[in-house]
Amino acid sequence: MSPARVNDGPASGLDADRAHGPTKVTTGSNGSTGSTGTDGPFGVLRERLIDAAAAFAADSTALAEIMAGLVDDVGWALREPLEIFPVCHHSPASALAMAGRLREKRPKVIYLELCEDLRPLLAELRNCRLPVALQAFAHDLAGFPAGSGPLSIVAPITEASAEYQAIAYALETPDVELVLVDWSADHLFQWEERVSAEAPASSSPAPRDAPGGGAGDPDPDHGDEAALHGDAVGIEIGDLRPRFAELEEFLLRHGRVRHWSEWWDQYVEQPLAAADHDTYRQAMTLIGSLFRRMTPADDGRRLARDEERERHMWTRIREHLARSGADRSECLYVCGAFHAVSRVPEFGTLADPPRSEPAGEPSGHEIYEIGPVTATRWMYGLIPSSHSAIEAQFGLAGGSVSIARATWAKALTRSGIAPFHLTGGRGAGRPARPAKAGRTGRTGLGGQAGAEGRHGPGAAAEPLAGFLERPPALDGLDEAELLGWSVDIVRLARRNGYLASTADAIAVFETSILLAGLRNRARPTPYDFQDAAITCIEKDGVPGRRDVRRLCEILLGGDRIGQVGYDALPPLAQDVYNRLAPLGLDLDKRTVQRALLDLAAAPELAECSHLLWMLRYLLPDGAIRPILGVWRLGERSPQESWDLVIGRHQRALIELGYEAVTIEQAVEQRLRRAAWAPTATAAVALAAVEDAIVYLDSRRLAEELGARAVELLTAERTVDDAPEVLRRIRRLLDHYRVNEPSLPAWSEQFVKGGYAHYCTLLPTAFTAEDVGVRQVASMLGFLLTLENLALALGCDRAQLELAVRQSHPEEPGRVALLWSAQTRLGQLSMAELRTRCDDLLANPLTVPAFPRYLAGLVQALEPVPTLTPFAVEMISKAFARLPDPVLLPWLPTLVTTLRDQAGELVPTLVREAGRTFPGSLADLDIWVAPWSGRPASTMPPVDPAAPPVGPAAAGRTGPGGARVGMAGSTSTADSAAKDAVAALLAGYPAGTQAVAALLGFAEEWAGPRTSRTGDLVPAGSAESGQWPNWSDSRGSGVVRLLADHPATADAVHNLIAPPVSAPLVRPTDLR
Amino acid sequence: MTAEMLRAPAEVKYADELDWLESVDDGPKPFSWRLSPRMVRLFILGSQRSDGSASFRASGGAREKHLRTSFGLDRGVDQKWFGEASLVERAIVTLASDRGLLLIGDPGTGKSWLAELLAAAISRDSTLVVQGTAGTTEDHIKYSWNVSMVIAQGQSRKSMIPSPIMTAMERGMIGRFEELTRSTSDVQDALISILSEKYVSIPELDSDNTVFAQPGFSIIATANSRDRGVNDLSSALKRRFNFVRIPVVTNKRSEADIVRFRTAELLRRHQIELDVPPTLLDILLQSFADLRATAASATSDDEKLESALSTAEQIGVLEDAILHSQFFGERVLGAGALAGSLVGSLARRSPEDLAILNKYWHGVVEPRSKKDGGLWPDFLEGGRQAIATLS
Repeated sequence: MSPARVNDGPASGLDADRAHGPTKVTTGSNGSTGSTGTDGPFGVLRERLIDAAAAFAADSTALAEIMAGLVDDVGWALREPLEIFPVCHHSPASALAMAGRLREKRPKVIYLELCEDLRPLLAELRNCRLPVALQAFAHDLAGFPAGSGPLSIVAPITEASAEYQAIAYALETPDVELVLVDWSADHLFQWEERVSAEAPASSSPAPRDAPGGGAGDPDPDHGDEAALHGDAVGIEIGDLRPRFAELEEFLLRHGRVRHWSEWWDQYVEQPLAAADHDTYRQAMTLIGSLFRRMTPADDGRRLARDEERERHMWTRIREHLARSGADRSECLYVCGAFHAVSRVPEFGTLADPPRSEPAGEPSGHEIYEIGPVTATRWMYGLIPSSHSAIEAQFGLAGGSVSIARATWAKALTRSGIAPFHLTGGRGAGRPARPAKAGRTGRTGLGGQAGAEGRHGPGAAAEPLAGFLERPPALDGLDEAELLGWSVDIVRLARRNGYLASTADAIAVFETSILLAGLRNRARPTPYDFQDAAITCIEKDGVPGRRDVRRLCEILLGGDRIGQVGYDALPPLAQDVYNRLAPLGLDLDKRTVQRALLDLAAAPELAECSHLLWMLRYLLPDGAIRPILGVWRLGERSPQESWDLVIGRHQRALIELGYEAVTIEQAVEQRLRRAAWAPTATAAVALAAVEDAIVYLDSRRLAEELGARAVELLTAERTVDDAPEVLRRIRRLLDHYRVNEPSLPAWSEQFVKGGYAHYCTLLPTAFTAEDVGVRQVASMLGFLLTLENLALALGCDRAQLELAVRQSHPEEPGRVALLWSAQTRLGQLSMAELRTRCDDLLANPLTVPAFPRYLAGLVQALEPVPTLTPFAVEMISKAFARLPDPVLLPWLPTLVTTLRDQAGELVPTLVREAGRTFPGSLADLDIWVAPWSGRPASTMPPVDPAAPPVGPAAAGRTGPGGARVGMAGSTSTADSAAKDAVAALLAGYPAGTQAVAALLGFAEEWAGPRTSRTGDLVPAGSAESGQWPNWSDSRGSGVVRLLADHPATADAVHNLIAPPVSAPLVRPTDLR
Repeated sequence: MTAEMLRAPAEVKYADELDWLESVDDGPKPFSWRLSPRMVRLFILGSQRSDGSASFRASGGAREKHLRTSFGLDRGVDQKWFGEASLVERAIVTLASDRGLLLIGDPGTGKSWLAELLAAAISRDSTLVVQGTAGTTEDHIKYSWNVSMVIAQGQSRKSMIPSPIMTAMERGMIGRFEELTRSTSDVQDALISILSEKYVSIPELDSDNTVFAQPGFSIIATANSRDRGVNDLSSALKRRFNFVRIPVVTNKRSEADIVRFRTAELLRRHQIELDVPPTLLDILLQSFADLRATAASATSDDEKLESALSTAEQIGVLEDAILHSQFFGERVLGAGALAGSLVGSLARRSPEDLAILNKYWHGVVEPRSKKDGGLWPDFLEGGRQAIATLS
């Protein structure tokens, strides 16, 4: 009978399958095995299954075919002279059977379903505390589409797994060869790539299991641990789960269990735990066959993938057999039960001779060629894993791996089988309890059945039929164990804030038994116990951090987090551990470690600090965090404080080890990668230059990156990054001016290139809608503030002047920017600027747009800082004159715009305003705005050649225009004005006295005298050089009078004095 | 008998089924239970797949076969309560143990229905109910006196009126206490001695003054988790109850089942011949799912509807729409009527709830009606009108 399938499967596989069904093999092989049909090895079983099909199914033929197919499959797999050992992932029963089988058979060669390129890693498992995951990682891709990297796969290894038993046995026993036969990581991604290319709309690749199906809710408590694997693709040996959602649901419902892990534990794991080898093997094969045959029709792609892998594995096995000449009977092939019943043409070693002769095969299938790997450079390493990470990755129920481990420990003690474990290194393979020495075989039934197993499939037929007939020999109630759990959970709950008491322990115990009874079990499973504990202890709220469900998980084994030992770490990670040793912290700890570095007191720690800064740059957020201290270009704190969580981020550190050999190299590569990324901009490259200087102190790299920045800048067509570029290049130039004898060539190039570049883009940027005012302001800032350097390097100012002339913005903010630039360039006088602005304010039609002009004006402070007083003036005028409907809605906008876009300009503005406005309330009464009443004609023209005047240099200012007109600094302008007044008053005391008399003041004025500083001060002022207190009762009348009637004072001045170069300084101006 | 009742209690409604289950039940029965725990489970959760998928419903013959083989029964049992099976198991097991059962959950999650089913299955009487209110006194839990008889004959067992709880004690049955947290603390605490000592003393009598609970007595209480703060349980009382939290059903499929099940019952009760199109049911479920998501992401109470958006509420909305269409409409349930009923039931506070619904209608329903079409445009229009009327 040819095997029947529920689905059609992939077209490629089906014909081949039929051709190589059981019949084919029997005739084509050495004939030592049984026959086909109902007379076959499992004749009795087959009969019964077919009878059952007839009795239960409406359409019995289809079901009968499936049933018969199952039996065929088992016979087919067992007939293979190379012993196939079917396993299931994270199954203690598999591990136990494996340990027993290895002790008994002592194979010389073990073929393992695991990526063939991971082989060299296995020896490193000695140095690790399980669970850890084997990882293959690639970020330099060749042969894969760009952007699909980095590629990463992980294969987690736990102690309670058959594969670990096989690995430990092979590595610990001399002369045993371990051959990994599955696809390499490269093959795996090649396949995924091919699949996604064929069906771009298809869902994610199959092995990247979405947690969910049958799994419990993701536990927030597990957060970190569950994410240990990052976004790697998980691979596991022996993925065994129904691919038919309805089948799984049916099994769960009728098994009275909640999720797949529980079902498996209940119906396969426990009955098989005590089974002998043959029973185990046949039962597992049967399950594999069942799930394989019940593959839904729409899952063909997944099946095709599995078959492709099987062909690969069998080809590798055959190659190895042919090469090594190993005896097939001394080999063991460990694979998932699903693959044990494979029907690919390459299956088995029996039909080997005919296949090598093409003439012997009518179906004409060619020899399977293993495809070449791409040129991708793969790196390998071990990363820490955890039970919850495994559960999350493979969609297992929360706690199931922990429970499997507990079951394994118990099964070991009960069976007395000594497990294999890797010795040496740290924390490696700590078995639950070493079994008695010398007991290598199996006891009782096991030993007997093992003997039977060697008699061939005819004899081996019995165990399976018998096993399936018998009700599962479930454990009786283990009262002591349950009692222990009940007491422990109450204790644990109390510690976590629950009001639990001994009465609860009794209730949990009783409820567990009742629940198990309700679910048809004599012995409560851990899951029953968990339910019972929740029922009895959980009330209306969770008092602490963990609820009872989580407490049960902790009680039953808890999450275990693996650790990769020092020796198994890549050189980079070892280097990091070595270099951080002076800090004296235990970096393996998973808690936050606080490092305090006083670099002044302990200069030797500077090296550690340096490394920490580099790690902070390289590692993901959260691994390393500076609490105190900064290190930027030109700024370094003498004391630093760090929070380190390297123990928890060991994976990130190990993956860093795939990138480079030392941290410095990794930083260099990252910087290069950032600067040469397709999306890199000039600002990114400049940031990389800064980092190269700070972290690596590498002139060579900085120059290289700087050259790249020049290249990027000139190629850029947008000016979005202009503010960032300006900020960074200014900082870099400052750094070079301080620390280097001359500017590096690239920075000169950058300034020159930038000058030309921004000049070119300026007219467009002024009108383009997608360019913000801030961007234009930054461009102008670059052009105007770095102008001196650019001109010195050979740029032509005419280029800028032309660019400004070509700019014709329409949006008010940009117009204001343009006016500022023109003022700075001498194309527009200060007076004209003021007139234009005043006109805007005076015209009711333009008033609503005035705030936008002001916004532009504020932005203009960056390129033209000398405009600060004017900006203050205009803002004051706006406050004074704008009508409320315009002013009020604008105010919040002003504040937010200032904060978001011009944060660094606000202090300048505020300082300027502080100078302009009176300091006390009393002064406010007599205060007159410096610009009010000033005849515009007195405004001298702007001197275009005047160097930019920093805001800090601005002293006590007179009316805006006056100061700008002075040659030299503002303070000289101030003192010149003072001198002029003083000289005037001193020269003509009679005039002053006459005016005073006229005003009703009889006192004599004593004339000026010289202060200690050499300044002329009027009499009556203090020795400190202060002007007299104009606001006192005596002077205030004069002041107010003069302030109210400035025209009179000016007229008097003109009448009695020869013209002086400075305008009259009124008392309020000097305040 | 059921025909004379507006709503028959579960033990009356399912009397046939319970009789039959009792006759085939050969499992061990705790105390005086009428059914074994497994049969109780079967009665509540039914004997077939909850989704009723085609694989086992395809042909009558196959289904019957399947039921027989799975349960050794010759007839099917319908599922009556929809939710996680383990919750029911935990509830049953609790009743078989020493403790009372407290079902806690949001309003409309089916707590009372589950309590009724449990009581009906275990003691064939689900009517021994005390309703907890602010006015509930200790007399309602223990006993009170027939004043005229006391005057005529003096205090005796004859002149005493036992409470439902006391009756349950005397008969070894399940007593029910609805809305436990609504009653005051002193009344709640009267339960402590009943649950631990399992007897009630009657100090007014000189002899025969203790009522002992018969085996099989237990209490199913329900509490609304939204009112938890009203009269919180004392820890002594908490200790005597096992809490089973009934979650709001968020699984769309189970929810559809529940709504379908209850609606069918409703239509039968009102003797209405009306078809509920499955697409309309989808719209209802979808809009509740959306509104729940909105409530979950809200940061303050003002941003979420006052309603708990439970399954019961959905049934209420559907019932309202059906009745409205039956008596005032064209005897066809339309999307517009459903929308009107939804708005009407959920808009409890003005303007907060209305504002949320308005936002939902224009932010979610409108785009969806443009994209999906079908009945959504009608739904959109109906909702708009309803919101306009209420605003």
